[in-house]
Amino acid sequence: MNVAVILEKRRAQWAELETLCDAMETRGRTDKTRQAHHRGAAGISRFSTLYRAACADLALADAYQLPPGTVTYLHHLVGRAHNQLYRANQFDPSRWSDVLFREAPQQIFADPCVRVATLLFFGLFVLSMFLAKNEALFPDYATSIVGQEALESMEEMYKDPINTKSLDHYVTMAGFYINHNTGIGLTCFAYGILIIPCLFNLAWNAVYLGAVFGYMARDGVTGSDHFFHFVTAHGPFELTAIALAAGAGLRLGMGLIYTAGLGRIDSLRENAMRAVPVMAASAVLFVCAAFTEGFISPSPLPFTIKAGWAVVSSGLLSFYFVILGFPKESLTMRQPAAVFADGMYGDGRAA
Amino acid sequence: MAFTAALDTTIAVVTPENIEFKYQLAGPFRRLPAYLIDLIARWSFLLVLWIGGALLLGLLDLSFLGPFALAGGLVFYFLVSWFYGAVCETFFNGRTIGKWACGIRTIDIDGRPISGKRAVIRNLLRVADLAPIAAMSQWDPDIPPIFIIPTGMAGLLSMAFTRRLQRLGDLAAGTMVIIDERTWRVPTTRVDDPRIPALASYIPAGYRVSRSMARTLAVYAERRHHLTPARRREVTRHLTVPLIDLFEFRSDIDPDLLMQSLYYKTFLAESQLDQPDLGPLAGYSPLKRDSKTPPPPTSVNAIPTPSLVQQASTIGAIAVGTDPTGTTS
Repeated sequence: MNVAVILEKRRAQWAELETLCDAMETRGRTDKTRQAHHRGAAGISRFSTLYRAACADLALADAYQLPPGTVTYLHHLVGRAHNQLYRANQFDPSRWSDVLFREAPQQIFADPCVRVATLLFFGLFVLSMFLAKNEALFPDYATSIVGQEALESMEEMYKDPINTKSLDHYVTMAGFYINHNTGIGLTCFAYGILIIPCLFNLAWNAVYLGAVFGYMARDGVTGSDHFFHFVTAHGPFELTAIALAAGAGLRLGMGLIYTAGLGRIDSLRENAMRAVPVMAASAVLFVCAAFTEGFISPSPLPFTIKAGWAVVSSGLLSFYFVILGFPKESLTMRQPAAVFADGMYGDGRAA
Repeated sequence: MAFTAALDTTIAVVTPENIEFKYQLAGPFRRLPAYLIDLIARWSFLLVLWIGGALLLGLLDLSFLGPFALAGGLVFYFLVSWFYGAVCETFFNGRTIGKWACGIRTIDIDGRPISGKRAVIRNLLRVADLAPIAAMSQWDPDIPPIFIIPTGMAGLLSMAFTRRLQRLGDLAAGTMVIIDERTWRVPTTRVDDPRIPALASYIPAGYRVSRSMARTLAVYAERRHHLTPARRREVTRHLTVPLIDLFEFRSDIDPDLLMQSLYYKTFLAESQLDQPDLGPLAGYSPLKRDSKTPPPPTSVNAIPTPSLVQQASTIGAIAVGTDPTGTTS
């Protein structure tokens, strides 16, 4: 049998497979070809038959001595059909709670990168706050970090007592904070793969916020009380969220450096998979912080309630990190078992 | 292995059907237009939504919903600008609008489809791939901060140094971008020239075309219409000179014609045993031993067009330089 005959015989089926691929492009339904025998289950089974036939043609291309152009065509055709047969996994919302309440805290508890990021952030924050507050020793520190204009506008902003009663303002500001702060967190995470920009971002946020806090804590600054009245409620959520985002980002970057025996790229991939739950937790915290900052912080509620909310949110975070995150027995048990199984497999292969 | 691997930007994937097929990888010059189209799509989507929302609120006089609409718009802006790519790639099987327009698709490095988690990672890390951002304000402090130009050097370098042309986000997510175009045609080669079957019938029946020779013939037949006749003779001469000796043909046979005849004999001829209908060319021989004998006069009279007579009278020299017949389509 020569090539021309084979091609003539097969071309009709290849063309049919192509039309089916076209039809399945958007949602994976074969009905769109508008042919009776492509509807429903019959269409799917027809597609898989044609796909297997094309695979067989490709496998036998060498034996048939098909021309290279035809082989290239078959590669494209099989590749296209393969992409339609094995389609992307959709998001599975039923797993999200598992990611958020089991994987994320476990990972956060065990992850040295999160510890480093948290220590760096809060260490620099406290240091910067101390430097900015100590007017006698470092009189120009706050001004040089934040800038004179920004400090003055800050004082101007908190000159009056916090007393916003308009719901409109709350809602709008919550939306704004979700957009702005979560965006900063995600940027910090993404830059983690390059390590330095992530650390810079984290450190800059810590130093800047610390300088503002320290300056406002000075005696004799107008609006000092109102400032702390405003920031207390959402502080725990927001500051933790930034540190977590940077921790997740650093996990990416460290994956490139500390490979734990894997190839560099494989290690990066592994670490990225582990970083995602942490980033998801951070994003949720950002949203919680945004709602607090939008609705509770600017409200005329007494300071006791706001401070109480800060205490409650800190307690919730501690519960999340420590109780949910404490290494579970089942997890620690699984580790040696897996090693043992590998050993058995290896022995079996050797024998 | 490293020495035998092709330099092409293709990647082989083994399917569960135990077939190895090749994908062509998409490079930066195909992915940048896709990204720009996505950028435009994203912004026009937001713009349409914003105008539509404003009109709706204005027409229905729902001004008390204004702040909610504003907050919703901000949240929506956040979601679209960070998760547009991830959601599109998950729901449209590895494609965004721009990727669809440019005929590319994101898949797992094992050739499997992309999962939601991987799509999220690779799209979040785009920020790092677009780094560093050109510091426009260094040159002119009056430039407003909206003209932020990401240079994309990180992603470009990463693509240049990885075998699968992956940017940083692809590396972290374990994905790659491949070309998956909608239409590919089967390249078909037809032989219209009547001299080709005639010449093919003189090729000794015992001659077996080797596998590499068959591949060479097929490539030549597919590409020869890109070459000028002189170039065809030049590139094929090296192959045909020993063949002419082997077949004991006259040395002035057109090399291009001989290659096509071999192609015809290998791929297209119905059977090795059938003699083609030579028509007016019957009686002409390309063999060296027949070159002394003059062609039979009857067949000359039978041919209506004089140009063909002239060609047919010397099947070798004739064809040289005059090959207007396109044999490919």
